[in-house]
Amino acid sequence: MSSVEIENVHKIFGTTHVIRDVSIDVPDGSFVVLVGPSGCGKSTLLRMIAGLEEISAGEIKIGARVINEVQPKHRNIAMVFQNYALYPHMTVAENMGFSLRLARHSKDEIATKVRDAAQILGLSNYLERFPRELSGGQRQRVAMGRAIVRDPEVFLFDEPLSNLDAKLRVQMRAELKEIHGRLKTTTIYVTHDQIEAMTMADKIVVMRDGVVEQLGDPLTLYDRPVNMFVAGFIGSPSINFVGGRIARTDGAAKFLSHSGVRWQVDPRVAEVAGGTPVTYGIRPEHFALATDGESGTLPAVVVTVEPTGAETHVVADIGEDRITAVLRERVSARPGEKIHLRPDPAQAHLFESESTLRIQPSGEAH
Amino acid sequence: MQRRRWLFSIVAILPVLAIFAYVRVFPIVEILRLSVHKWDILSVAKPFIGLANFRELMGDRLFHEALLNTSIIAFGVLAITVPLSMTLAALIYHRTRSRFAGFYETTVFIPHVVSLVPAAMAWKWIFDAQLGPLNALLSVFGVEPKAWLFDPVLSLVCVIVLCSWQALGYCVLIYLVGFKNLPNSLFEAAKLDGASGLQSFWNISVPMLKPITLYVSVITLVTSFNVYAQVYVLASDAQGAPGRQVRVLVLDMLENSFRNYRIGYAASEAVILLLIVLLLTLVQFRLLRERRSRA
Repeated sequence: MSSVEIENVHKIFGTTHVIRDVSIDVPDGSFVVLVGPSGCGKSTLLRMIAGLEEISAGEIKIGARVINEVQPKHRNIAMVFQNYALYPHMTVAENMGFSLRLARHSKDEIATKVRDAAQILGLSNYLERFPRELSGGQRQRVAMGRAIVRDPEVFLFDEPLSNLDAKLRVQMRAELKEIHGRLKTTTIYVTHDQIEAMTMADKIVVMRDGVVEQLGDPLTLYDRPVNMFVAGFIGSPSINFVGGRIARTDGAAKFLSHSGVRWQVDPRVAEVAGGTPVTYGIRPEHFALATDGESGTLPAVVVTVEPTGAETHVVADIGEDRITAVLRERVSARPGEKIHLRPDPAQAHLFESESTLRIQPSGEAH
Repeated sequence: MQRRRWLFSIVAILPVLAIFAYVRVFPIVEILRLSVHKWDILSVAKPFIGLANFRELMGDRLFHEALLNTSIIAFGVLAITVPLSMTLAALIYHRTRSRFAGFYETTVFIPHVVSLVPAAMAWKWIFDAQLGPLNALLSVFGVEPKAWLFDPVLSLVCVIVLCSWQALGYCVLIYLVGFKNLPNSLFEAAKLDGASGLQSFWNISVPMLKPITLYVSVITLVTSFNVYAQVYVLASDAQGAPGRQVRVLVLDMLENSFRNYRIGYAASEAVILLLIVLLLTLVQFRLLRERRSRA
């Protein structure tokens, strides 16, 4: 096991600058997830760590060793590909033992290691099968097995669950996490699915256009996103954004939306000058159902109501802004009806409209 | 509706079927018929003689020689072409970033489209004992000049080289398609598993290209069993080589039919050739199916 340090790394394909000055520190034994929309450079970064892409500038270290010029096979990493990349003409056992065979381990040793890995992954009964005789989840496990038998310092996962159906994905997510807990191998995991990132990661790296937008543990990213992109990317259903400006009446700050609705703001961000154009961001679960007349409530016209059983998703218009609220209560309102919602100002964020950066409330820890 | 569709299909396909029947099926049936008759082209009489032609073939020294030579050529071409074309295709495929990739592909493919006789003439000159550049080249390394086209063994080698040179382009092309269909992630996975280029080739490419290899083998073998023009230009008596240097099946058939006027006898040779090609094709299809049944 080893830490991975990525320092000021760049990747340039011809004239396109795919990765710009990325620095990430992956502590020994941790589970780090690189997440971002397609084309953000997360897979390229992973392939650079694996040695499948050259590093245009900067340094990548595994442990204390700079691996920029090290051959992939000497980097002591194992990678699981999105399409699994299993060798179709080899059995499960042969697939898993291939790297050991190339490294000239003895037959007995290979058999033992393959058997152990198969045990961990519940593949013991499938060792003589060919990949085409396995289900998607089993193939996924063989791909993992191939990585495990090598006992690498670092596991690299490139969107390993995206070819599985929704139910299996949830199951494999838990299994992966459990295996990581058992093996404690440093893991770098790429996905575009923020739920995967949130549920599995010790640390999430949100990337966009080859730049790291924010790096932190899942809940920090959720509670204190640095900008509108991260706020919008993390969380499902995603955060509501309402455009407007800060208005001051009698010294007290309020948020005035473009359609003229006044929203309460956290007093801690009260220093923002009046008239500043800002975007109000609030997560769907930070709305509560209220009755008319209570302070801080806003009238909303229901567009759709989606009961999921445990909670109710309500899409509604507040002024001219369409928002989604996730309510604990069961709502019987019909489309077109008026309800009252109370946003929790302490949980809302204000973003500078120009820079999209979050305005940090005074007294908040970094 | 259904019937009209059927009718249309049949009417549409009929002209093609008719042509196919006339140029392919009819000659084969005719050959089968002739092989059990005795006919000298000229006479009206075409007496049925049963399997007498085949019985005679059993003891025909020239036929045996032709059969042996043809087999040596066919399997020789197979042994050279298949591994070589796979290797060349691998080199071209894995070097596709090179600016010369197109040039390489064209270079290997040109022999396949070049007109056969001029190409064979060029090779005849290369192999020429006195003026040929091959002997000139060998003499640089101190090798004695050889009578390439006159020596019974060497002349076979020459024919194999010429046929392989011609077959190579097509095989490389087919293999290239095969390579392009192999998922790149497999090679990346192998790279991470610690495989060198050569190990990837041997452990990934070769087994995964097995269906292509079978197809290429069938085509090469069948084509090579029908070898004639190359031998005719390079090493037959008609072009001035002394004696009957390299006798192949097609040549023997031609001589029997149009020089000895024994059409029925030649037809029986053709039947033997047909059977051999059929058998080889069946064997290879069996191999292919064996692979599939594991699938």
